[in-house]
Amino acid sequence: MSDQFDEFVVTTVKNQQQAAEMVEKLFAVAQPGAVYSEPVTVGKNTVITAAEVKVGMGFGYGAGFGSSAELDEDEAAGAEEPKDEEEGMGYGGGGGGVSGGRPIAVINIRPEGVEVEPIVDITKVMLAFFTTLGSMFFMLGKMRKAARR
Amino acid sequence: MNKMKLKDMFQWQTISGDPTMVGDVTVTPQSQALTIRWPYGGLVWNRPTAVLVERDEQTERIPIVDVTRMAQLGLLGLGLVFSVVIFLISAQHRRERNE
Repeated sequence: MSDQFDEFVVTTVKNQQQAAEMVEKLFAVAQPGAVYSEPVTVGKNTVITAAEVKVGMGFGYGAGFGSSAELDEDEAAGAEEPKDEEEGMGYGGGGGGVSGGRPIAVINIRPEGVEVEPIVDITKVMLAFFTTLGSMFFMLGKMRKAARR
Repeated sequence: MNKMKLKDMFQWQTISGDPTMVGDVTVTPQSQALTIRWPYGGLVWNRPTAVLVERDEQTERIPIVDVTRMAQLGLLGLGLVFSVVIFLISAQHRRERNE
């Protein structure tokens, strides 16, 4: 049991350290280098792209110990022969994460000047438009129905 | 795990990146990052906000507008305003009928 326990502690501490290191790497995304690309020069023009970046992560651990003697104490009290005491432990962990990026603008550096050209995600805008339109018609329908009553 | 202070848990900061020199123009990108940390994980949302353009000893700030987000928020606002107006009109109709 003692060896098992030692192994459990060592493994848990190691896993926690690894997970903490991974989380620290996640915060590198908070730097401007994560949202701006390296400049690309074509002829006299230099282009830098800008994107929005989102990253999230979480992890967790759990462990439990127990022995048959403790668990079956009530049953064992009535038994004539004492049962062999069995001990056990279990541990587990899990984690998950999400990440996403979306281009927002292109920075165009030309000899005449610097221009920021926005990038429009037409799919997202149209989805929002039709959702709004749908909810408006739904509300209108409900109102008309209520007016008829 | 050590107890975390609220200041360490939530951070909202504007950071300037490495300047890029193209000819006589120096472009410095700026971004805004929201960082939320908790003992077993974290969340980072980073978005570009502006570029600082230095030319002939003059600095100009060009904002980066997220047109997609603006359109989405505008439509959401429109939907909310419409819902409130519809609700108020139907409430008024109900009141008139009851009178």
